Amino acid sequence: MIYRKRGAVARWEHGTLIRVTESGVAIEEGDLFTCHPEGGEEALAVPPPPKPDIEAERVIVSRGIAHHQSGDRAWSEETRRFHAALVHGRLRALVDDEADVGPVAEALRRAGAEREAPSRLRLAPGVTAALVPSLAGIAPPNVRLLQTAGGVDGYGNEIVEAEGEWPNWYRPSYRVRPVRMPHNLRLECDVTEIDERRPRAIALLAPVEGLTLRVLVEEGARVYPCTVRVTHIDAVSNERRWYPYGAGSFGAEMML
Amino acid sequence: MTARFAIATREELWVHGRLAERRLSHGEARDDEQGIVATDARDDALVSTCDRRMDELRDAVRPDLRLRLVAEARLDGVTSTITASLGRHSLVTDAVHLDEDVALLRRAALESEAEVRPLPILWRNGSAAVLLHEAAGHPAEHGLPPLALPAWLQLENPLTLRRASFRDVPLRRMTNLVVRAADAPFALPEARLEVLLVDGGGYEPLTDVVTLRVAAADLVEGDTTRRVAPFTLTRARGDFRFLGAAGEPLRYPGVICSREGQELVVGSHAPLLVTA
Repeated sequence: MIYRKRGAVARWEHGTLIRVTESGVAIEEGDLFTCHPEGGEEALAVPPPPKPDIEAERVIVSRGIAHHQSGDRAWSEETRRFHAALVHGRLRALVDDEADVGPVAEALRRAGAEREAPSRLRLAPGVTAALVPSLAGIAPPNVRLLQTAGGVDGYGNEIVEAEGEWPNWYRPSYRVRPVRMPHNLRLECDVTEIDERRPRAIALLAPVEGLTLRVLVEEGARVYPCTVRVTHIDAVSNERRWYPYGAGSFGAEMML
Repeated sequence: MTARFAIATREELWVHGRLAERRLSHGEARDDEQGIVATDARDDALVSTCDRRMDELRDAVRPDLRLRLVAEARLDGVTSTITASLGRHSLVTDAVHLDEDVALLRRAALESEAEVRPLPILWRNGSAAVLLHEAAGHPAEHGLPPLALPAWLQLENPLTLRRASFRDVPLRRMTNLVVRAADAPFALPEARLEVLLVDGGGYEPLTDVVTLRVAAADLVEGDTTRRVAPFTLTRARGDFRFLGAAGEPLRYPGVICSREGQELVVGSHAPLLVTA
């Protein structure tokens, strides 16, 4: 199996704009994976994103374009990514959607002392999306974890609707051997109505560890950090937003 | 004037004596008026250097180990590293030290016989360099105040702008951390933990907390030595008390330091060190 990729990325990172163009080939022969750069064709270019104007410990904004070929299949994709780490005192909020920066930064400035996690809680889509990949194989019985059809995988195969068995392959770079894993995961629950009176976890304060979430919670006028262990899911909204976690996951308002 | 950075890397993964993965990477980065322009341009001289180094590295292949061989040539130098893995543990070494470091890996694989408990720690095999890497090195990278050390303990920790590949933005990073002791006190506590191998660690600048994942350590009580299970040490960096040190700096099997997604080898050397 031979795979080729040509791509360009323009990325703001720590206030520096870096524009990268490269192309390469990956070959799988039996158990052996090899890859190397492969010049020759005209280099791609992508317009850089605007310089981010955000006060943060870390801001990375990128735009990319890539042309792929695997066997006789060819496809292209454009990507836009955003990541910010917002800091206040000893707290760091992780944000992967630029639209969330304002509300999270404002809440972070009002954050008080650590509290016990409320017994009933809502999770914002950005929090849910980061949690969803951890639920593979252990999702509670009242919810279904599904791969969402659409797009192509690392071998150029169509990403199909799937549950439990994951037929598609993830290849984030030509330098990485593809791995079988779920793409564009979403969570479905028979109950989709969200009680908006519940406290809401609006941002992650640390990467997800299994089913444990370190989150920033907004409860009326109060904002506080707490640690949540996901044991039961009451409801998941049908309104979803895509996030670049793993091979993609959809976030939706969720009630615990 | 534009600064030019160029790199070539050969990498091979050998699993139990069989080649599983082989990679070539090369590229260059130049500064321009907007920032950095990076391409996968090939510098033939750097690639040839990598090829020669990889030919030498393949002598390290052993039938019972998982080995990642990396030969990397930059305009300012060449490095060859071997990441050797056995069971749950791995370390970074070179061809010269491979056998002695693999022996350390084999010792690390022993079953635990005792519970870990709070005791003074003797940092063996240069492992104190990992402690100081996290407690002093990373804070220096972040421009934070230096760690207070006793007069008998000195730290050399030159920082420079480094990047893992042509695709990365250079960051101020450690290069080679050396801990030295001069006229230091040294008395072994009767009961102590002896750290042999550290899997990894971290420093959190927001809380000033150091985390160290100890992969192999012994509980020593008088004449009795028993292996303890791997454990994690989490403590504010100012809370480590340095009780004594002995000997010349020992080379710790290299540290691969990851920050902002960029993995770099940092040299690590420290004498025997006792902390509480």
